[in-house]
Amino acid sequence: MSHPPSSRERTLSRDGSGAADAGRIKVGVSDLSVATGGETLTTSGLGSCVAVALVDRSTGVRGLLHAMLPNGTETDTGIERPGKYVDTGIETLIAELEAAGASPDRLEARVAGGAEMLDLTDAVGPRNVARAEQCLDAAGIPVVERAVGDGVGRTVRFRADGRLVVRAADGFERTL
Amino acid sequence: MRVDVRALGACNRLAERGAGQAAGALTDLTGTDLSVEVTGASVASGEDLAEAFAGRESIGVSVGLRGGLEGEAVLAFDADNVDALLSLLPGGASMGRSAVTEVGNIALGGFLDGWANYLGKAIDMTPPRYFEADGAAVLPDGALAGDGVFLFESRLDATTTDLDFSIYMLPDSGEFRDLVVGKTAPAAAPGADGGAGNDGVDTTAVPYESLATFASLAKRGSANAADNIAMMTGLDTSVDVSRLRFVPLADVPAEVGVEPHAGTVFELQGEPSGYLAILFEEESAARIAASMLPSEPDEPLGGMAENALCELGNVMTSGFIDGWANVLGTSITHSPPEFVHDIGSATISPLIAKLSQRQDYGFVIDAAIRTEGVQTRCDVYALPDERELTRALDRLSES
Repeated sequence: MSHPPSSRERTLSRDGSGAADAGRIKVGVSDLSVATGGETLTTSGLGSCVAVALVDRSTGVRGLLHAMLPNGTETDTGIERPGKYVDTGIETLIAELEAAGASPDRLEARVAGGAEMLDLTDAVGPRNVARAEQCLDAAGIPVVERAVGDGVGRTVRFRADGRLVVRAADGFERTL
Repeated sequence: MRVDVRALGACNRLAERGAGQAAGALTDLTGTDLSVEVTGASVASGEDLAEAFAGRESIGVSVGLRGGLEGEAVLAFDADNVDALLSLLPGGASMGRSAVTEVGNIALGGFLDGWANYLGKAIDMTPPRYFEADGAAVLPDGALAGDGVFLFESRLDATTTDLDFSIYMLPDSGEFRDLVVGKTAPAAAPGADGGAGNDGVDTTAVPYESLATFASLAKRGSANAADNIAMMTGLDTSVDVSRLRFVPLADVPAEVGVEPHAGTVFELQGEPSGYLAILFEEESAARIAASMLPSEPDEPLGGMAENALCELGNVMTSGFIDGWANVLGTSITHSPPEFVHDIGSATISPLIAKLSQRQDYGFVIDAAIRTEGVQTRCDVYALPDERELTRALDRLSES
């Protein structure tokens, strides 16, 4: 039995309203989504989770992943949502971007999140970031900018121009 | 009757897709982007439901079901929400009744399509019946008498407003019952019965009666926690909402939301282990902390407030887990409090990540606790390990 990724059902703003007021596509936790028009991809409340934003600048095709855990292989729940894990999420996102017209050779990455929020949860944030760097490197995708680590939650907006706006809990905003 | 937790996961996924269809229908009707934020299933006994619905007014539609599922399904909006819904519609209030009927019909249709596909059998729906109902009258016939109902609740997020709706179905209707007990859903979760953490074939089936017991246990825990706050602060404290829900864990952060929150988190050890988070919105946190301190702190959420919130978290958590441990007959301990102050969803996401290594869905007990005098309210998220909770509930039913 297969289930379509939940992002398909959530991205209601894609149903043909045109690029001018393309709106936003919200990417939930353990989710990923691709935008081919002028939509802004957003994901909020990144704590230890990591956001990986990929863009092919020549086609404008972009994708955003909000992954929770580093390795799909570390699980015993079965992989129901590829976006839950950094490794399976990046792999799926690259495939979806390619299907939407992006060339994997031209992709560049921006990475945000992976904060160390709690002592209770043994550094899951930094491990997420390390896994993202590793998987992107293996796929030959350069990481051009990053806003990772520390103990601060973040919200990101992936704009149509391929830039990633990262807003921290204290309101401080950076454009990567 | 035993409810298979994995099968419940599959049911929840169907509900989520139905909610997606409803959101799509509303998007088309209103021209406002709507997306599904959270879909959860909860189990509630007749008694709890009667109490929960007291004083509430609902509007919605009900349909009769035949074929793959038998019985009645109800989709309801809280009457308080209806203005928000109508304000999104081009015809405004005059469109009310027909719009609600249309939205309800489309949503229930989508919801049931998913179930029909899953069951491999057609489900026939009678034409939708619009209703306005007081209290528990919204529920399908017989809900209050039997074991209770399954509630599938979804929250839709629009840019300008939040909309909630609920779908209710009775577990006693034959096929639905087979579905939740796992008879017709052997492949509910790929990989569910493999891997290192598997402790037996039957570990995900819970007697339905003990789920209801656990739901009332949630209430006991919240009441204990509230009593402890009252003792510590001298403020009248009450529990607004307290319930047990079954949700995709990945949806929990969205439920907490992006507003800044402060509070404490704890790791639980014992049976069940898991996590507990007590989160206040920033102003609420500052107010309750100030009420506990002898003098106004220099910083609203500085070191002194942090100590006060940790102390408060300690007594609340003790109250919660004592209630559980007593009923379950197990021993549960908690770690020292860890103070958090950040975007709400970011504070809880590491806990969700840890728990998600072993499970995709979880039982979440949420409780809203309110103190009088000092305007403050907190939400408690209890996140027990699914397998350990199942074991504890199972033992409970045998004793």
